[in-house]
Amino acid sequence: MTTPQWETLLAVIRGEQLRRLPTGFIIDCPWLPNWAGHTILDYFTDERIWMGAHQKALAAFPDTMFLPGFWSEYGMCTEPSAFGATSSWNENDFPFAKKVLRTVEDVDRLEKPDVRKDGLLPFVVKRLRHLQPEIERAGHQIRFAVARGPLNIATFLMGTTEFLEALKTDPVRMHRLLTIIADFLVEWIAYQRECFPSIDGILMLDDIVGFVGKNDFLTFGLPYLQRVYSANVAVKFFHNDAPCKVAAPFLTQAGINLLNFGVQHSVNDMKTWTGGQITLLGNIPPRDVLAQGTPADVERAVTILVMGLQDRSRLVLSCGGGIPPGVPTENIRAFIAAVQKLGG
Amino acid sequence: MHDFSKLQEAVLAGNSAAAVAAARQALSEGADPLDLVLHGISPAMAEVGRLFEAGDYFVPELLISARATKEVFVLIRPLLAKQGAQPTGRVVLGTVQGDLHDIGKNLVAALLEGGGFEVIDLGVSVSPEKFIAAVADKKAQIVGLSALLTTTLPAMKTTLDAFRSAGLRDRVKVMIGGAPVTQSFADTIGADGYGENAASAVQLARRLVGV
Repeated sequence: MTTPQWETLLAVIRGEQLRRLPTGFIIDCPWLPNWAGHTILDYFTDERIWMGAHQKALAAFPDTMFLPGFWSEYGMCTEPSAFGATSSWNENDFPFAKKVLRTVEDVDRLEKPDVRKDGLLPFVVKRLRHLQPEIERAGHQIRFAVARGPLNIATFLMGTTEFLEALKTDPVRMHRLLTIIADFLVEWIAYQRECFPSIDGILMLDDIVGFVGKNDFLTFGLPYLQRVYSANVAVKFFHNDAPCKVAAPFLTQAGINLLNFGVQHSVNDMKTWTGGQITLLGNIPPRDVLAQGTPADVERAVTILVMGLQDRSRLVLSCGGGIPPGVPTENIRAFIAAVQKLGG
Repeated sequence: MHDFSKLQEAVLAGNSAAAVAAARQALSEGADPLDLVLHGISPAMAEVGRLFEAGDYFVPELLISARATKEVFVLIRPLLAKQGAQPTGRVVLGTVQGDLHDIGKNLVAALLEGGGFEVIDLGVSVSPEKFIAAVADKKAQIVGLSALLTTTLPAMKTTLDAFRSAGLRDRVKVMIGGAPVTQSFADTIGADGYGENAASAVQLARRLVGV
């Protein structure tokens, strides 16, 4: 992100009323490689392609901010790989991490990874290190440490069904698992900050939080989110595009001050549930409108969203989730133009 | 009619041991195994589905209720077979080729079983050939295709096309579901039904087999 973009984001988070409504999008491997004309595997394995794809997006859409910015990642394999998960790669599909815990008892043998050495983590850091001078010459800074959240990583290590069942049948072991993961995440985020002192934000992605009820969230979700978000940074950004009505009122207790949420809830409802304390990044339908609609559909969705706003503060207009695969250039342009036309 | 309330309470609580014990007790008191399914388990799982749709139950609650149901089925399946009792319908279920996600498919499988269907779960990343072989082998009336990724949606069409090429399309109803699936996509590829969520899949399956 550029310094003006970062300052805009901080101002929005402070609750300042800006002259223009800001727009911003999460961009990563589901959309960026194919949009830029590359396969997903080439994007992951070739740092020139990775850099070029980001530069192309920045040049095509100069009037919006991309979060977290230059994002070094290997999809859902990034953190699970450090725990020993085998990563499975196809030329143009998302990589997939295979389970490492066959039974809940395997948790007893799970070790906390070394964030400096294990799995794909050194590759994540090295990519940014190699390209940091170029990123900074382009006027950008590395602002965010990024990680999948504790529940999300747990599902990759043992399977979604198995993990969610075990919350009920073996809560002690699941706390043990989540403690190992949270300890790991604290170190992983600290290491990213150590490598890149310009980092002043954390982006954590955890859709599994939206799969559980209130008691389970308070027992297995919130304490671990609080721990991982305890670092002293200005922006605590959380992505969960599963339904998150249950978790929303408690997110401020984890220090979260920026939330990208799905299309199941309206901006107005989410503002109410979060007490107006969290800046919202959302939320026209990403797939049905931004990816599959026409520019006119996008303009209509943005108009409905903006005209229905009860409060324009603490809002960055976006889609409800990251940009999904297949979103055409003209639809993103239509989104930005529609916001500008409506007083953005 | 036997009183299945203990069994139903155990299923709703997701207490497998209590559910099996209640089923054993009911059978020892002379309850008919088919009655146990139709008037014990099915209404309990229907209630679980209702609570899930109402936002009172979440995925973990649904999963452990399904697990309790499965364990009761282990007990009563041989008894049902001995009686020659027929399931409500037979469903071959799987996540389409290239997609390794199983949560949606597992939820649907659990609710269908609870609804009295026999479910042949083929797992994840299932090839069209494997779906076809299972439908032919098990004489299933329904095939259920699940996908979580937008990139694997085309595999649903590929699977349907393979059923057409094999001359089996008219012999089986196809229902599809998963996060990226919409009714319009179902219509486009010629599926017989689309379930917006796991709970709606049972009603859909019932409709497809004409119950």
